[in-house]
Amino acid sequence: MKSAEDIKRYFQQATLSTNPDRHEAIFEKIQRAQAESKTTVPASHRPHYRSNIMKSPITKLAAAAVIILAIGLSINVLDKTTPAAYALGQTVEANHTVHSLRITDFKSGEDEPKEFWLQFDEQGQIESVRAYMPEWDSPSDGAKIVIWQDGKAQIWFKKKNGLLTVSEQQFAEQMLGLARQVDPRPAMERLYEQEKQGKVKVEIDEPSDSTQSIAVTATYEPEGSRPGRRVVLLVDRATKLVTAMEVFQLKDDEYQQVGRTEFHDYNQAIDPRLFTLEDEIPADVMRVDQTTQEVGLAQGDLSDEEVAVEVARRFFTALIAEDYAAAGQLLEGIPADKMQEMFGSTKVLRIISIGPAGPHPIPETKGLVVPCTVEVRKNGQISEWKLDRLGVRQVYNQPGRWTIFGGI
Amino acid sequence: MEDKLLIWRFKRGNREALRRIYDKYHGRLLKLAVVLTGDLDTSEDIVQDVFVRFAQSANRFGLSGSLKSYLITSTVNCVRNRRRDNSRRRVQSLDEADHVPSSAGRPDQWAVLSEQLEHLRSAMTCLPYEQREVITLRMVENMTLGQIAGLQKTSVSTVHGRYRYGIDKLRSLLNSEVEA
Repeated sequence: MKSAEDIKRYFQQATLSTNPDRHEAIFEKIQRAQAESKTTVPASHRPHYRSNIMKSPITKLAAAAVIILAIGLSINVLDKTTPAAYALGQTVEANHTVHSLRITDFKSGEDEPKEFWLQFDEQGQIESVRAYMPEWDSPSDGAKIVIWQDGKAQIWFKKKNGLLTVSEQQFAEQMLGLARQVDPRPAMERLYEQEKQGKVKVEIDEPSDSTQSIAVTATYEPEGSRPGRRVVLLVDRATKLVTAMEVFQLKDDEYQQVGRTEFHDYNQAIDPRLFTLEDEIPADVMRVDQTTQEVGLAQGDLSDEEVAVEVARRFFTALIAEDYAAAGQLLEGIPADKMQEMFGSTKVLRIISIGPAGPHPIPETKGLVVPCTVEVRKNGQISEWKLDRLGVRQVYNQPGRWTIFGGI
Repeated sequence: MEDKLLIWRFKRGNREALRRIYDKYHGRLLKLAVVLTGDLDTSEDIVQDVFVRFAQSANRFGLSGSLKSYLITSTVNCVRNRRRDNSRRRVQSLDEADHVPSSAGRPDQWAVLSEQLEHLRSAMTCLPYEQREVITLRMVENMTLGQIAGLQKTSVSTVHGRYRYGIDKLRSLLNSEVEA
């Protein structure tokens, strides 16, 4: 044994095992200490009721009252030892009364939360959504506000100063999927079902202190669909609605928190102006309405990979020809004047290389990536412009048509 | 985060949380105490005391601190208190037999030491206590010399010296035991 490292290894290998019976006996002693610490009152602090109260008929009545009170208290104490009365089904039931709420969704390591306002119709279906998505959620888009109402979605890209309007079913599903991820109602129903099927182990803490929330800890079974996941829900004692949800993931033998979602303002009326952007967006915002304008390139007989490369090729060809209307149509339908503003100072001279198309690194975009290198002239200097993540995908509300999306 | 959740539930009076904390940390604290005291009986008493006091502290225990650090510091403090009490007793009763560290097995014993831990226990008793503490906290608990200096209320250079001298002596003791 030479180095300190050798000695450290020796320390690590040095172990002990414990006798299970003795281990249990010691734990019982520790538990008793815990129980006694809650109930023991030092003798010097105990009031001497009897010697003080039995001096007059009035105090005898008072003594009787004290005894009745004491019986009441003892019943309360006994109540504390009865099994938890709360069950998940109560929250599932309470959720049926919810017609609106606000949600803040925190991700571990990020200060700014996502924020959602959800309003439901009489059948409990999502009717209106407002979502604020911080920049960390999609750095290329920047922070954005999404409104979903009347079957149409509006997305305000704050950094790009653009307002996109879409109405296609696929986007609707994506938008509603986003809202459902944070909606506590289906989450509770899923948990309730999973508990019944034995897929999660649910532990309920109902503290005797009535000011504290009920805590529900759901641990997913290792062989289930979400091994290593644990969810802690805080439930309001009066309403039985969830006020917060913390998500943990088992890593290196420890549950590490990955997110926290808070639920506020249940059933408080949401100002209708929250579900329109007209009062908020700047006057010079670039409007792209894909519900009224044909966007992108028709796929025809081309494969997905081929049409993606073709869209990129036509886009740069249009820029070389300074045909900003054609280029804008291939970039989510951006108007020609805005395209000229964006690309006028950078003259695209030629395409050096393009393709082949491959899967987009963010699968949720359902798009492809077309790597491109073009030669450009800017401020009199000629240089190569290398684009590794030029994304191309189907237009949301126009089946069979493909467009460039995201940042260029 | 697991510990924070356990503390949170423990403070709310959940017995299962106390059970999990006990199961998770008892072995680690026993090992720490055995290496520090060299005596298994004393170590068992110390770790029991640490958990009993912890169990009684639910109302006072904060959520912000580290459970592991709290339990380790409690164990180290408990070992120091025992040493101080023992030395007072020895001064008061000079004819009392010196305390002899032992790990002799009893039927109701809580822990059984592995051969390596037995060697370490035996070798560490030959080191001055301060050196023993530095080496144990560094080797067993991966504490930095700065953290140990904070715990021992002394300078980092003193801790470094204790560590260096202690390691040299421990190496020689363990090598001689291995060779023997």
